[in-house]
Amino acid sequence: MQALEIFEGFSHYLKEMKSQGKKVIAFISHDNIPEELIDAAGFIPLRLIFAGNDELMDASHDYLPPSTCAFAQTCIGLFALKPRQFDFLELVDYFIVSNHCVSDICASEVICKYFNIPRINFYTSYMRNSNSEKYFRLEIAEFRNKLEEIRDAVISDEMIIESISRYNEFRQVIKEINNLKLQGGLKLKLMQKAFLFGPKILPELREFIASNEDSRTNTSNSIDLLLTGCSIFINDILIDLIEEGGGNVLFFDTWIGYNYYSQQFEENAFDNIQNPIDLLASRFVNNIYGDHSVPNFLENRIAHIEKIYRDYNQKTGKKLGIINHIIKFCDHHSLMSSFFKNKLQEKGIQVLNIERDYSRANRGQLSTRIEAYLEMISE
Amino acid sequence: MKNFIGIDIGSLATKIVLINDGNLLDHKTERSTYDFKRVGHNLFDEILTEHHLERKDVFVMSTGYGRNTIDIADDRVTEITAHARGAQYFFPDASSVIDIGGQDSKAIVMSKKTGSVVDFQMNDKCAAGTGRFLEVMAHALEVPIDQFGVLAMQSNKPASISSTCTVFAESEVISLFARGASKQDIASGIHKSIARRVAGMAKRIGVSPKLVFCGGVAKNDAVKKYLEEELGFEIIRPEYPQLTGAIGAAIIAQEKNKD
Repeated sequence: MQALEIFEGFSHYLKEMKSQGKKVIAFISHDNIPEELIDAAGFIPLRLIFAGNDELMDASHDYLPPSTCAFAQTCIGLFALKPRQFDFLELVDYFIVSNHCVSDICASEVICKYFNIPRINFYTSYMRNSNSEKYFRLEIAEFRNKLEEIRDAVISDEMIIESISRYNEFRQVIKEINNLKLQGGLKLKLMQKAFLFGPKILPELREFIASNEDSRTNTSNSIDLLLTGCSIFINDILIDLIEEGGGNVLFFDTWIGYNYYSQQFEENAFDNIQNPIDLLASRFVNNIYGDHSVPNFLENRIAHIEKIYRDYNQKTGKKLGIINHIIKFCDHHSLMSSFFKNKLQEKGIQVLNIERDYSRANRGQLSTRIEAYLEMISE
Repeated sequence: MKNFIGIDIGSLATKIVLINDGNLLDHKTERSTYDFKRVGHNLFDEILTEHHLERKDVFVMSTGYGRNTIDIADDRVTEITAHARGAQYFFPDASSVIDIGGQDSKAIVMSKKTGSVVDFQMNDKCAAGTGRFLEVMAHALEVPIDQFGVLAMQSNKPASISSTCTVFAESEVISLFARGASKQDIASGIHKSIARRVAGMAKRIGVSPKLVFCGGVAKNDAVKKYLEEELGFEIIRPEYPQLTGAIGAAIIAQEKNKD
């Protein structure tokens, strides 16, 4: 599956939705944006999940310094670079300004301010306690009001429950894709496409899973890996470099992957539901692996990865490689990367921290780091 | 098969070695230039001709940034693994490696039990902490690169170079001159600056004594001296520091073809 196929029909789909009066609500993806509310409002959530390149990063430097997170630079560059690399960005009606991290806030604000896109605020607390849950509920209510104002009609509880249910099924499908015994790059590209289109392509995804359930890509010569840290976004060469170097990502412990589908609700969560906002609030509180999970986010993440490693090791007798992918100047992941690596290495688990931006000049050095790590863990 | 060739295609220099039964028979080094494939081919042809060998008589292992593009290689290995193995060739009980090459630097830690690589760190895409930094600074001071370390060793009060960026450091050197600092002190400060940067990277992965210093920059006594100061222990240098990667590649080739 080539990168271009990910976009096949996407512009056409968005244009068609717009012609039906639907609004496109774009946002810098993270795990607390309640996409179900956007969907329930009859709008199209558009996640910015596109990897950068030199041109996109350069185009952002009129607005923020090069020491800004390379992904945030890319998001700005997507709007700043003319002609735009993705014509469907012209169709964005609103942009959500959120606070997943400092760069998220900065990039969202720059995009709204300088590219004249009306903003919708959605801020969340970094703590997981009763106060932050109350605050989260207030933000959800505010967000719902704003969406109702835009559509000029009420979003009923039933509509929200229906959307939550649809996205729950979507998360299940993402989980099933991640569990397929296929080459990591193929699974990733399918998940990226799914994240772009959303539940609209559930039938296509189901069909893919059904026809590949028993498939086994021969990866016996590859070294199995768990990818954690920052997601690999659309058009990023990193997955290709990993596979060219002899690795195969078995488990995507990133936002495009586990962090997303682990927030799936149990089936019985929908029984006797009084208020759908309770479900969204419970998801926020229970999200122990997300970056907004202070306290103990890192400890939880380390324990979770250690468990996957031990299970794999017990089952196969082999080492599972751990690649911690850090987008340069990503405060969340880069500040914690040494601690993360040291803690796992103390447990005998070798970790490769890859800190990089999207420039082409990185390619050779990235390959060397990946290949050297694979040589190291295969010795 | 008894003859093994290791070819290390670095960004600045291409190094080739021929070993037989673990003994270093010959080696050659040439600037890589933009046409490093041609340089690699020429060195390979020369070494075969001089030793009356044919292509079929040797097994070739490539390493370095050009390892994947040189078509004479039978197999390839990264410079991390190759340098670790090369360091152990010179010093069997080596525990760690610092390699400062033309355009990158790396620190490697090996297992005391097995000798295999257990961790490594490479510098970012930046000239600071590499041989290129020294070249630029030597040029700014109008000193031949092979005399730069000698000049630095003549000072006992290194000037303070605060910038870690090659471009800004060059401006800093000019302003130090303007303030009347001596060439020796500035040269010394530059060497101390590169050592501090590389030592910082090396300490992060826990390098320890019996550390082998290799790569072209290892020939520079001032960098070695300041690295020792920064790390707090003596470091060791092989006879041919620049050949460590190529030798490591050749040794790995020999080990892989034992049967």
